[in-house]
Amino acid sequence: MDRSLWWRCGIVILAVCMSMAVWQPSPAHAARKKILKIAAKEPDTLDPHSSTIGQTQAIVRFLYRGLTRFAIKDGKVTTAEVEPDLAESWTVSDDGTVWTFKLRKGVQFHHNFGEMTAEDVKFSFERQLHHAKGTRFAENLSPIREITVLDPLTVQITLKEFDPVFPLRMVGYQQGYIVSKKAVEQYGDNYAWNPVGTGPFYFDRHTPREKVILKANSQYYFGRPQIDEIEWFDVPEDATKLIGLEKGTFDLIYPEIVTADMVAQVEKMGAVLDKRGPGGQERIYINMTQPPFDDIRVRQAFMHAIDRQAIKDTLYPGALATLADSPLPPGYFGHLAVEMPEYDPDLAKKLLAQAGHPDGLTIDNYFISKSFFYPKVAVLVQEQLKKVGINVNVQLVEHATYHENIRKNLNPFVLYGGTRLTDADVWFGLFFDSSQIPDPATGNKGTNFAHYKGIDDLIAQGRREHDQSKRAALYHEAQRRIMRDAVCLPLTDVPSIWARNPKRVSTPFNPDYGEFALHYSYNYPEMLKILD
Amino acid sequence: MQQWRAVGDERLLQYVVRRLFVTIPMLLGTMSLVFFAMHVLPGDPCMAMLGDQATGQALNDCTHQLGLDRPLLVQYGDYLWQSLHFNFGYSLLNRYPVTTYILQMLPYTLVLVLASTVVAIGIGLPTGMLSAVQRRNPLIDYTARVIALLGLSMPVFWFGILLLIVFSLHWDLFPLIGGGDLSTVVEMIGSGEVFVYPGDFLAAVFDVLHHLALPALALGFTLAATVSRVARSTMLEVLNQDYIRTARAKGLRERAIVYKHALRNVMIPLLTIIGLFVALAMTGTVLTETVFTRPGLGKMLVDAIEARDYPLAQGAITVFTMIIVTVNLIVDVLYAAFDPRVAYK
Repeated sequence: MDRSLWWRCGIVILAVCMSMAVWQPSPAHAARKKILKIAAKEPDTLDPHSSTIGQTQAIVRFLYRGLTRFAIKDGKVTTAEVEPDLAESWTVSDDGTVWTFKLRKGVQFHHNFGEMTAEDVKFSFERQLHHAKGTRFAENLSPIREITVLDPLTVQITLKEFDPVFPLRMVGYQQGYIVSKKAVEQYGDNYAWNPVGTGPFYFDRHTPREKVILKANSQYYFGRPQIDEIEWFDVPEDATKLIGLEKGTFDLIYPEIVTADMVAQVEKMGAVLDKRGPGGQERIYINMTQPPFDDIRVRQAFMHAIDRQAIKDTLYPGALATLADSPLPPGYFGHLAVEMPEYDPDLAKKLLAQAGHPDGLTIDNYFISKSFFYPKVAVLVQEQLKKVGINVNVQLVEHATYHENIRKNLNPFVLYGGTRLTDADVWFGLFFDSSQIPDPATGNKGTNFAHYKGIDDLIAQGRREHDQSKRAALYHEAQRRIMRDAVCLPLTDVPSIWARNPKRVSTPFNPDYGEFALHYSYNYPEMLKILD
Repeated sequence: MQQWRAVGDERLLQYVVRRLFVTIPMLLGTMSLVFFAMHVLPGDPCMAMLGDQATGQALNDCTHQLGLDRPLLVQYGDYLWQSLHFNFGYSLLNRYPVTTYILQMLPYTLVLVLASTVVAIGIGLPTGMLSAVQRRNPLIDYTARVIALLGLSMPVFWFGILLLIVFSLHWDLFPLIGGGDLSTVVEMIGSGEVFVYPGDFLAAVFDVLHHLALPALALGFTLAATVSRVARSTMLEVLNQDYIRTARAKGLRERAIVYKHALRNVMIPLLTIIGLFVALAMTGTVLTETVFTRPGLGKMLVDAIEARDYPLAQGAITVFTMIIVTVNLIVDVLYAAFDPRVAYK
């Protein structure tokens, strides 16, 4: 090859590189369509009954709806009350065990799967009750005894006994979503990526590890959304999400962890944080059956040794979280602010000495997940406990291992997060009922990590109580008892937070807790609007 | 001569077939090792899938549905039997059939590895050779060596973010995320539409290259350092050989000496490095795919292991093994092309 040929080749390569660099996709297409670009992690499925993962629960809300929905009251979305959605109305028998739902007429499933009928409702709940492969929420529907189709638009659900939480169970969230029977039967195992719901958006396509595309459902019964298309990008790294938000690649981002640095960056670029309650409560359960914590004075000492305010201020400065005021988070039916233990290291030392540990104590092999908020909180707790003589030797493990270990009772105190259906009955039933005490010997993998048996009677009474105010009173008493017995230390209530480019997208709800939602996302994504 | 070549070809073929046979027990060993290693790891897939929302009943349901409550040996037997029928099951992480999913991810990783290899050789080989040939010119030698050192010192995730900030955020020249329209490229090649719609095909290729440029540069540059250092030291060694001195004594031009006599000999150790390098690049794709938010096998494998997604992790590691075995086989075959002294028995 002679020299001039080398030069020519070089120039061609350079030209290709330059044109590659300056080439951008035509903006005309994007301008014509109203496309909402979201950066979050990739959902693991689009079958709403099959996943507990945050991003999946967030995206399925765009595709599916339930018989009821969380009510909008005074311009705010609440999680305490419900209103009709796919069910137009309902009646309930005097004893509260027979619920008859009249379905909205003419609701169409996506992709021409026909009109939604009572058969679809029956199928949606029964597939979970029968533990169909991959389904996860049978427990949330366990009060149901029988489902009967009275006519194509009327379905009757008979309960085993009165269930005060039943209307919440029917809300469009997890077990409450209605899927197309025909589609699930047709696609079988492949339904996960061939979802068919009745929501404001329908599934268009998925490029694995890149994006999911949803399109506006023009047949949506509350009216077609203003947004034509949703592009849900798989972006695992928060740093990339932030760069994308600044650059305009994304309009909304769903951060993994919101830190003070991130807030500063978001504010600097002119974006806003949409905070939704109730979010997740970060709290510590103390196993009251394991020495040395079987002595209430040690548990009290533990609680007085922890500076909750410092943890909140360090990890969630400003309005990024609120200091927890109860072992039941706000936004849950029955919540009551109760007295929390004061930070008092001297008192903690004194209590430890009284309990026979004047020189402190050591906890070896304390396992903590290396994911999410766990290691950050654990390190702060470790430092604070050290000041009163409680030395904790922390071992970082993967998230799955952490969950396995805490169910084997390997940790004398357990840090935990997460949300549940927003009623004290559900929360207490899972975290404080004696039937949920984890026990490797019996295979019980429950989540009563405190091994507490002190409010079983109140939970049982609450389930029988028809009067809501009396039911609330029972749960208030439960919260007082939990704190009295020093088995749970609530730390922070952390909202679900997304960052939004307000010049591109608007929401009708106040960014500061204008919405309460369990979906880790906007409760009503159809109300989001792209601004011109 | 013709006869000699035919004998050589036959031996080469026998060698390749023999190597392929050796691959079978190797794959079986890898699959078994991965199976048991994954099951020995603490933390089961149901815990990983359900996370903070895991209730006792949901965990029991999940364990039963996935067949994880069966004895380990029964699970192993089932796995081998299903694999024999090319049924690798469904991914627990994303509910796709494992084979379909891996086949979708594979092209992204292959083009990244290929492109970064080209970048690594394109940068590493000339700088290494230049540095060796011009070793008495400190300006060139030191510049080339500093470039190599930079490549060695800069981790791919750091260099990648730097490239993103400069070329994507500030100058807006390259896309921030994604792997480009590779699926269209693969589909058009597969269906033959490439000849029907060449314009669309070129646009898709262009899109892929546009998305590939920064990741390939990030990964390739960090690996170019190794190539450059090996090329430099080998070239220095070769340049001191007797036959080079003889060539110089014959009065050959320096260019001819370097390109015709020295380069071919430099290629032999370099080929070994490139063979290893593909394995390195495959692992490097994990970080590159993460930083550039590209689809691909590397990040997928790490996620699968973290999520204890047994079927997907087992499938992906099998594919990784096959790629590395194939590349090493190609490298072994190429030795003969560069070095006539190599014979296959």
